[in-house]
Amino acid sequence: MNVLRRSLREALRQAPWGLLLFSLAGCARNEPLEVRLAELQERKIWRAEVEVFAPDEYRAYCAQLRRAKDALIENDGKFFPFRDDEAVTGKFKQVLARGDEIQTLIARRRTAQEAGIAERLAAERDRIDRLDVLTTVISVGRSSREFLAKAELLVDEAESLAERRRFPDAEERLKRAATFTQIAKEVMTPALKRFVDQEQISLWRRKVDETIRESKLRGGYAIVVSKVDRQLYLYKAGRLVRTYEVGLGSRSISDKLYAGDRATPEGKYRVTKKVPRSRYFKALLLNYPNEEDRRQFALAKRRGAIPRRAGIGGLIEIHGGGKDGQTLGCVALDDHQMEEIYALADVNTPVTIVGARDYENSVTQAMRGL
Amino acid sequence: MKGFVKYLSAGISVMLMAALLVGCAKPPTQEMDAAKVAMDTAIGAGAEKYAKEGLKSLNDAWAAAQDEIKKQEGKLFKNYDNAKAMIAKITADAAALKAETEKKKEEAKQAAIADQAAAQAAVAQAKALLAEAPTGKGTKADIDAMKADLAGIEASVAEIGTLISSEEFFAATDKAKAISAKAADISAQVQAAIEKAPKGKKKK
Repeated sequence: MNVLRRSLREALRQAPWGLLLFSLAGCARNEPLEVRLAELQERKIWRAEVEVFAPDEYRAYCAQLRRAKDALIENDGKFFPFRDDEAVTGKFKQVLARGDEIQTLIARRRTAQEAGIAERLAAERDRIDRLDVLTTVISVGRSSREFLAKAELLVDEAESLAERRRFPDAEERLKRAATFTQIAKEVMTPALKRFVDQEQISLWRRKVDETIRESKLRGGYAIVVSKVDRQLYLYKAGRLVRTYEVGLGSRSISDKLYAGDRATPEGKYRVTKKVPRSRYFKALLLNYPNEEDRRQFALAKRRGAIPRRAGIGGLIEIHGGGKDGQTLGCVALDDHQMEEIYALADVNTPVTIVGARDYENSVTQAMRGL
Repeated sequence: MKGFVKYLSAGISVMLMAALLVGCAKPPTQEMDAAKVAMDTAIGAGAEKYAKEGLKSLNDAWAAAQDEIKKQEGKLFKNYDNAKAMIAKITADAAALKAETEKKKEEAKQAAIADQAAAQAAVAQAKALLAEAPTGKGTKADIDAMKADLAGIEASVAEIGTLISSEEFFAATDKAKAISAKAADISAQVQAAIEKAPKGKKKK
């Protein structure tokens, strides 16, 4: 009992030493500088949108940082002679090195993504522009333009998002835009087929060649209108002397079949009358409908392809009023140009209106690469 | 005998200190639970979208507090005072973040609603101008094209409302701004077409 009492007394006497010993074991120490640097680096990497540009690498980096922090905690918990500060610092140095690599990777991927999205934006805009040109050259109906408008809107959104570096959102908008562009293309492609059809263009070319040949043989003027290019070509003695931009019927994609279809007729015609005071400045009246037009009209009526009460129509002219104007099927020019043609053309001047004069036309050009 | 007493007393001394100091402090689990609830509430309010930076700071602070607890758990002299202070700050910061998130979300919502109204007004203006634009023979062919364009844009206006309803306020703003710009562009083109249109020429 005495021994125990003496031992307790001695223990209380030595308690301060014991306290000192525990203090040394657990006292707070300054963390290695690398720990703070790693924390700052992680923050910097996160701000650089690592989750967008290198999510997998970031996850691996965070796990590595976690392991280093755990090692630091474990090391701090050890009795001081058993601590290995160098090993812990080494782990943080490895984290810092990996972090530097990730920053380089982010910069590289960001540049690549920016360039990639800029390229895709430009490509999509090009597709939309090409299709837009087609809708303005040849009226292909409202729906295709509606789809194009939606696509353009999404491309605008994508561009604005890309400027703010919201690349995933920009990509999503671009994908949706591409879908609308594709729909617009599919809507208009059937209507545009005949303007890229080699056989059809050969037929048109033959008519054009015949008209030019006639002009050459007679030494007089001849007029050729290419609907797809919206051009009127004036020939004299087989030589092209003038080219004019023209306005056509609002449904100029089709050949005229009946009155009120707003289409400009295609075929070989002649000037039947010169009208000096037309509602649209001056006019050259054409002999529409010709024999071929009548045959096609009768055929379409038999097939039920046109309204039962529809008439074949007439009064198709080349007139003034402005090339920007839409017509009911006539060919319209600016007044000062109409003045020139009116003065040069005579009654019986051949006028050939075709869908396209050349294999290489606005439609084939716009369709290429779509 | 004297030596034995000395060793025994030293041993007892160490054990006493250890018994006194080890385990007398406990991890602040209740405070941690409260902090976690506060953080989850901030996330639920939309902090991931509207206060990303603040949430990141909060998550980092949470990890630091966890590290501090781990550190103390490995010590003989456990002292969770620092961890408690850290967790208390997290709880307070989370509450502030929730308030900030709600404020930013409301701002985004109001901005989206204002942009939606602006887009609707821009489309309505373009529509009114298109209605005034001359039609039929002798008018600009572009007018028809613009009408189709506007129809496409108008269909997209409804999407702004859908985005606002689903609380996609930034996306709603993006769409509304794109629509406004496009509609304004159409209005300018129609205006130019009206000004250029030949006066007094009516379709037969």
